[in-house]
Amino acid sequence: MTVMIDSFGITDKGKVRENNQDNFLIVDISKSVAVRHSSLSRDKFGNRFGMTGGHLFVVADGVGGGPAGDRASEGAITALLGYVTETVGCFNSYSASREHELFEKLESTVRGVHDKLREEGNPARGESPATTLTMVLLIWPRAYLIHVGDSRAYVRRGSRVQQLTRDQTIGEYMINIGAWTEEQAARAKPAATLSSAIGGSELTPVVGLIDLEPGDGLMLCTDGLTKHVTDDRIASVFGNPGDAETVGRQLLSDALAGGGTDNIAVIVVNSAA
Amino acid sequence: MIQKKICMVGVYGTGKTCLVQQYVQGIFSVKYLSTVGVKIDRKEVKVGDKEVTLMLWDLEGRDGTRDVNQSYVRGAHGIIYVADGTRPETAKQLHDLRRIVTDEVGEVPSVIALNKFDLKDEWRLSADDEEAAGAPGMHKLKTSAKTGEGVEAAFQWLAEKTVNGAEKSR
Repeated sequence: MTVMIDSFGITDKGKVRENNQDNFLIVDISKSVAVRHSSLSRDKFGNRFGMTGGHLFVVADGVGGGPAGDRASEGAITALLGYVTETVGCFNSYSASREHELFEKLESTVRGVHDKLREEGNPARGESPATTLTMVLLIWPRAYLIHVGDSRAYVRRGSRVQQLTRDQTIGEYMINIGAWTEEQAARAKPAATLSSAIGGSELTPVVGLIDLEPGDGLMLCTDGLTKHVTDDRIASVFGNPGDAETVGRQLLSDALAGGGTDNIAVIVVNSAA
Repeated sequence: MIQKKICMVGVYGTGKTCLVQQYVQGIFSVKYLSTVGVKIDRKEVKVGDKEVTLMLWDLEGRDGTRDVNQSYVRGAHGIIYVADGTRPETAKQLHDLRRIVTDEVGEVPSVIALNKFDLKDEWRLSADDEEAAGAPGMHKLKTSAKTGEGVEAAFQWLAEKTVNGAEKSR
């Protein structure tokens, strides 16, 4: 089955910040070898990747003072792109061992960026570059996810929109272990502090996957969006049919209208048979 | 390094994610968040003198609108079926879930975790229900993701079975 992917990304510095430390990346990946004609059934090739292509979607929200934050999110995205360029072109298998290898390499790429940022940091000068990262590698129909921090990924099936990621913040952690109520977390200053970040004092990448169906959609965003746009509003905008660009621009516009206190990055992905 | 894929399978809200969280991080989450797709964790264990990495695939729970996605269990070396002891219907559905899984991976070492055993006052599984939830060759035990009871034992049993079973069949 040929599936068409419509994707769109946009970022904005918002209404308050001077710089934009959010970055995003959308990549189409394809193999250089394509079977043009054969007496064999296409199923025999076991080559989903070559037929439908792969796609990489990344958002990253840099933190850490001045240009350091921008460099952090840029560095994370560039490293992932390098990883994908080098290795993912060979990935065309559903086998558990190959998938585990993929996860390990993705994780190790993230840890490599983390170590580099830790070395580069200079806390004495107020430079502790760090970044969030939410990345989806889509090799149809499987969407592989790696996530660090409080940027988010959502999936849409029909009109139902669900959050794929959980924010890695102190507030979320305290609520999870029952130490704080939602109300306490909403009042507590440290609640928004990242409990895991690339380049931060803690790094706990979360990996996962989901098999998509034609018609499903994905949305990746930084917290500049979710600070100002409620889950209900996200479900209403992203949950309704519309091309990726229209939906992406609408979400950005909602975040700006809601205050735009932070940088915003959003990627919208639609699939269709 | 030996690597084994272990899948957590069950109806929604039975505590699959909490069991993994307790086993891997030693914490219990009081906030219920349903899993979407699959979340993958890793745990290194020892089986005899061998280092084994368990890749723990925490599958989204079966609910009224979605079933277990067979492609998620492909290549699994072991399965943990999870039922909620306070909801007998979740144990009754295990037979059906087992059929879906074995259609894909055949007979692999499996554990049945009758979870939420800390909720003793709300426990609704009769001795017959508990008996019926199992099948020959499957290891059945009561677990609590909250207190940790039975959690280590469930995963360790499966790790040993997947490693030693594989060796015997060589």
